[in-house]
Amino acid sequence: MSTLEIRNLHASVEDTEILKGVNLTLHSGEIHALMGPNGSGKSTLAYVIAGHPHYEITEGDILVDGESILEMEADERTKAGIFLAFQYPVAVPGVSVANFLRTAVSNVRGYTEQADSNRGGVIGSNLMPMRDFRRELTAKMKEYNVDSSFARRYLNDGFSGGEKKRTEVLQMAMLEPKFAILDESDSGLDIDALRVVADGINKLATPDRGFLMITHYQRLLNYVKPNFVSIFYGGRIVKTGGPEVAEMLEERGYGWVEQEFGTGELVAA
Amino acid sequence: MSVLVKEPTIMTEAAGFNEETVRAASAAKNEPEWMLAFRLAAWRTFESMEWPKPTDEAWRRTRLTGFHLDNFTPFTTTSRQSARAELSDLLQTELDEMESAASLIFQDGGVLFGETHDDLASKGVIFTDLQSAVTEHPELVQKHFMTSVVKPDHNKFTALHAALWDTGAFIYVPKNTKVELPLQVILNQAAGAGGYHHTLLVAEEGAEVTVVDDLLGGEDAMQSSVVEIVQSANSVVRYMNLQDFDHTAWNFMTGRAAMGKDADLRWIQVSWGSRLTKAFLDLDLMGQGGHAELLGIYFPTGRQHIDHQTLQIHRVPNCFSDLLFNGALKEKARSVYMGIIKVLPAAQKTDAFQRNGNLILDSSARADSIPGLEIQADDVRCTHAATAAQVEEEYVFYLMARGLSRAQAERMIVQGFFQAVLDRVPVESVVHKLERVIERKIGG
Repeated sequence: MSTLEIRNLHASVEDTEILKGVNLTLHSGEIHALMGPNGSGKSTLAYVIAGHPHYEITEGDILVDGESILEMEADERTKAGIFLAFQYPVAVPGVSVANFLRTAVSNVRGYTEQADSNRGGVIGSNLMPMRDFRRELTAKMKEYNVDSSFARRYLNDGFSGGEKKRTEVLQMAMLEPKFAILDESDSGLDIDALRVVADGINKLATPDRGFLMITHYQRLLNYVKPNFVSIFYGGRIVKTGGPEVAEMLEERGYGWVEQEFGTGELVAA
Repeated sequence: MSVLVKEPTIMTEAAGFNEETVRAASAAKNEPEWMLAFRLAAWRTFESMEWPKPTDEAWRRTRLTGFHLDNFTPFTTTSRQSARAELSDLLQTELDEMESAASLIFQDGGVLFGETHDDLASKGVIFTDLQSAVTEHPELVQKHFMTSVVKPDHNKFTALHAALWDTGAFIYVPKNTKVELPLQVILNQAAGAGGYHHTLLVAEEGAEVTVVDDLLGGEDAMQSSVVEIVQSANSVVRYMNLQDFDHTAWNFMTGRAAMGKDADLRWIQVSWGSRLTKAFLDLDLMGQGGHAELLGIYFPTGRQHIDHQTLQIHRVPNCFSDLLFNGALKEKARSVYMGIIKVLPAAQKTDAFQRNGNLILDSSARADSIPGLEIQADDVRCTHAATAAQVEEEYVFYLMARGLSRAQAERMIVQGFFQAVLDRVPVESVVHKLERVIERKIGG
């Protein structure tokens, strides 16, 4: 049983405060949906948890099992069990999915220590054994509906929106995080692609894993049932409850949030 | 106000060189009279040509400050051959790593070692050192050697090369003959010396061959090489020029392929080493239906200066040429890419592409890219593009969010940048070797 705890988190970009005191506790086995209008700072929260260097933390803390991760680089946070599924996964030309994932998995599972730049030419020497990696990747590609040809393709290069999101789920399955932050994993997907992604999330939603599911719309929640739903507005959580909160939002729209919680200016994209 | 502009002098004359140097080079090799005559004529051409000036377009960005030709004595003797076991570890490794049809190693102005694994002779394939070819196949050498593809007066360096050429391979593949495995040529340029390495590759109609030129050594040396590829109709040539000289070497190269009807060429040009490289590379599409690819990679570090100047000439209709040069730069390195696609009036339905990408790893590095089109036909498809970018922080963050360290992420992105060319390198052992060099270069 693990805990991800966000305490009174404030974060800024170039002196503009975007997160204004976020409080949230996520336990293993929980799915916590974070809903909010565009520009409320939801994606910023995802980036800040994952350790994006662009943001300055001015107050508060993020803890995994009581240990602060604020001083950790993004890769160390990943090793500590955090996984961010990107809203817009970047394409990295020339880097194959298999090659990159083998290095990633080897790091996260402790096959390799921090790459030693003084030992140029060692890529491949400290990695997870190729055969084991291949076997696992092939099995998981099948399980998560990713065509086996994707192993050799360049990461997200020329992938459709649905292919990118499915590849994000595959990466999550390979990295086996304690906590997954899903940033708009439903955006830009047609209904079939959404179903495939949702199936993947449901398979991965085991009792030893917690999910923070950021979404603008109710529709992903039709497929992945959250335990908690929070409304994010103006850089902080303004309401938390059960699935009924999502239903209320669906019914009343975000205009109601504005009336209820004031015209908090939009702080971020 | 008047400003006094002093024209910088960039080279000294070849004070230590004269006609006697040329005669001595020829005599040491017991060359026939016609080759001596060829050399002497080339020497006169060299003497009559001006050294490049910094105001010449080709030399505006690549200065030869500090280059003195007379510091680099040419070899006027021939070397002795070694047994394989006597070769240096480096050379033995080079031989071991590539599964070749035959290999030739040159050093100190002559052949150091040669071995053949395939029965080339029974197929009529000639793979020998050019020096031997002069006496054994004079009619072929006289027909092709610097007569049409690269003539002595092509530029100052080719004239010097024609007068003083020493090492290099002569490759002749007869009609409809296929050499399955690559032919491997290694030049181990001796320290402090001036070398003039030549590659003459003649592919007759329907012939297929792969040739790898490996250029090593060169501490405080100068190399001025020429590559000539002559392709008859329907021939298929894969050519790799892998330059990994010591970072103190001066390197000048002129390479050109003349392609007949439906000929197919893929030329991989790799520039890892040298303190300074100026390479002129031309594709000359002379027969309809020609298909040419010219792919380059470079990765200067420290104070290295690498300059590639390319020309894609489309003379006739319905030819295809694709050029891609990708380079990464570190520290105070400098690169220049200058290229022209020239489409002559008759060359309708030309498809020609030219791309140069630069990845700047340190703000103190600099890449100049000057692509160009000269199109005289109206029904053509030609594009060119040049980019200079840094490693994207968003890429790095994405990979780090998957557990890669910053160093691993940056390394992977740089390797990925070269992959577009590596994917098209036709010999697997060469791919591995290039990957290792990239790794080494990234690591420092």
